[in-house]
Amino acid sequence: MKKLLILMISLFIGLIFAGCAKKVAPKAEPNAPAQKKTITITMIAKSSTNPVFLSARTGAEDKAKELSEKLGIDIRIDWRTPPVEDGQVQAQRIAQAVNEGTDVILLSSSDASKVTGAISDAVDRGVPVFAFDSDAPDSKRFAFYGVDDIETGQMVMKNLAELVNGKASVAIMAGNQNAPNLQKRVQGAKMEAEKYPDIKIIGTFYHAETPQDAAAEVLRVMNAYPEINAFAMIGGWPLFTTTLLTDLDPSKITVVAVDALPAQLAYIEKGIVPILLAQSTYLWGSVSVELIIDKIHLHKEIPVMNKMELVKVTKETLSQWAKQLKDWGFTDVPERYLKE
Amino acid sequence: MTIGKKLQILLGRQQSGLVIVILLLVVILTVLAGSHPDRTTGKTINNFLNFYTLMQTATDASFFAIMAVGATMVIIAGGIDLSVGSIYALCGVLTALMLRHLNIDSPSAVILGIFASVGLGTICGMLNGLMVVGLEVHPFIITLGTMWIFRGVAFVISKAESILVPGSLTAFAKANLGLSPALYPVAMLIMIAVTAAGAFYLAKTVMGRHIYAVGGNPEASKYAGLHVKRITISVFAISGLTAGIAAFLGSAYYGSACCGDATGYELYIIASAVVGGASLSGGRGNAVSATLGAVLIILIRQSIRTLHFDQNYEWIIIGTATIIAVVLDKFNARLTLKRAMN
Repeated sequence: MKKLLILMISLFIGLIFAGCAKKVAPKAEPNAPAQKKTITITMIAKSSTNPVFLSARTGAEDKAKELSEKLGIDIRIDWRTPPVEDGQVQAQRIAQAVNEGTDVILLSSSDASKVTGAISDAVDRGVPVFAFDSDAPDSKRFAFYGVDDIETGQMVMKNLAELVNGKASVAIMAGNQNAPNLQKRVQGAKMEAEKYPDIKIIGTFYHAETPQDAAAEVLRVMNAYPEINAFAMIGGWPLFTTTLLTDLDPSKITVVAVDALPAQLAYIEKGIVPILLAQSTYLWGSVSVELIIDKIHLHKEIPVMNKMELVKVTKETLSQWAKQLKDWGFTDVPERYLKE
Repeated sequence: MTIGKKLQILLGRQQSGLVIVILLLVVILTVLAGSHPDRTTGKTINNFLNFYTLMQTATDASFFAIMAVGATMVIIAGGIDLSVGSIYALCGVLTALMLRHLNIDSPSAVILGIFASVGLGTICGMLNGLMVVGLEVHPFIITLGTMWIFRGVAFVISKAESILVPGSLTAFAKANLGLSPALYPVAMLIMIAVTAAGAFYLAKTVMGRHIYAVGGNPEASKYAGLHVKRITISVFAISGLTAGIAAFLGSAYYGSACCGDATGYELYIIASAVVGGASLSGGRGNAVSATLGAVLIILIRQSIRTLHFDQNYEWIIIGTATIIAVVLDKFNARLTLKRAMN
């Protein structure tokens, strides 16, 4: 009876698994004429609950499809991003992917020092690693694609300083304190602020990289420091909510933020955030896959550092940017921006 | 004794249900995982049943399992420890900072690191126990508070920096002990050692039996002359100690420590203990089952990736499997009781 029960419950677990299973591409028939060469790229971003990484995934999958057709090979994207940021889990997933025979790893590290060992192991076992968004510079990764983080921080502060005519009490909203790329952006913002004698940094405020946590932190900071009249947001998280549309008064507060995803566009439209500095997150996936294929399949030389340029989004360029997002596969771009 | 009789005794053990479920899962994974050609030899390798994946699964489970052994003792004694993940982070950060300050990178750094991490973990655990006993507040509340306090201390002292540990620590945790390169059995061996020590302590020592007594009926234990308060403090100290061991191993294996380490792990650890048959009302549970519970949870996580399931279902699957495992265990206990009464 006991063993029967165990068997039944195991079968039940199996059925749950089967119900949740993704449709995997059918395997080639044994008598198929010729099998295409398959390249599996395991993509491990920081968190699967962050929309910027979902657009990176779309970019990677689109480029994989395009190059598969063009080059006559089968490029597959194996998405293994943890649900929440955790460098340790990323390291485990790198090892798992290598054990299961992946060809390349595409990684945005949550904590560079935690994944460096796993990257070394992967490379030693013949699996090259490409970094995007957040680099692991001391590892054996063969190349990196993303913005220059110090320069990004500088651009945020420079644009903010110009909007406030060089005089403001500024709060820097900084996201996850462990992410090396964000630390560099904060560094860049502070370096730039030193050029403006009347720009006073009130503080650097860290928060969980979820929209609700980030928006709540903005409100807490505003209440705690009434003198703040400008925000330098080195990531776009607080603006992924609509809360701040009513809580930020553009006549009193000036905001410049990184990223320009569909959810943030209303802030530009309503003039609450005059400038968004967009990272073309779709290109994280798209360009990275292209560079990987150039290197490992076409055997071309590629630079180690591949810089992504930021795109300045304002009221004037809003419609154009919205159309770009739509073209990249974002389904939540409000129609009203596309008609203009 | 006949083989059939031996098998009957083996299947009658508390862990047999878990072992069967784990073995079934291993079989399912082996059959469905697919294969890939080995990069060096060109031989076909099963995606799950290969030394690298099995060792990796055991390593991933070891950090949870080591902490689950300690946390199980708290649960057997009728308490709960929500602070283990934070103790892990604090021990890792303080040990890494101390070693960086001393600027040593030699075998002595390994010994110093072990003592520092384990010592700090034990102190944190003792603080939990002392507060539970001294303030007479439920362990859930005390450890909920210290969960934030310990992580907060780790955050303040590390300034949110990820602190690298000396290379000698990583060399220790990633020693391949004569196996193929990239096979690191140290974490798994320590998990086995901690589990064996925990099982021996609980089953074969007077102190261990006292923990069951206190968890089963604290009032009766008090009247029987047991030092309930001392036992309560000791189980929290052991829980801290195991968190210290896991923290040392984790930071050494991954090469760094930061204040965000092991965030949310307390729930996986409690789940491991409960899946392993520990009763949250106290008096039941054991170290081997807690380790098997951790292995099962990690195996379920592994299977989601190995079988290329949609990862968005991960939390749903783990949650469902946890409930099923507990229900299975409850049925098992009822059947055993029924059989004993007959």
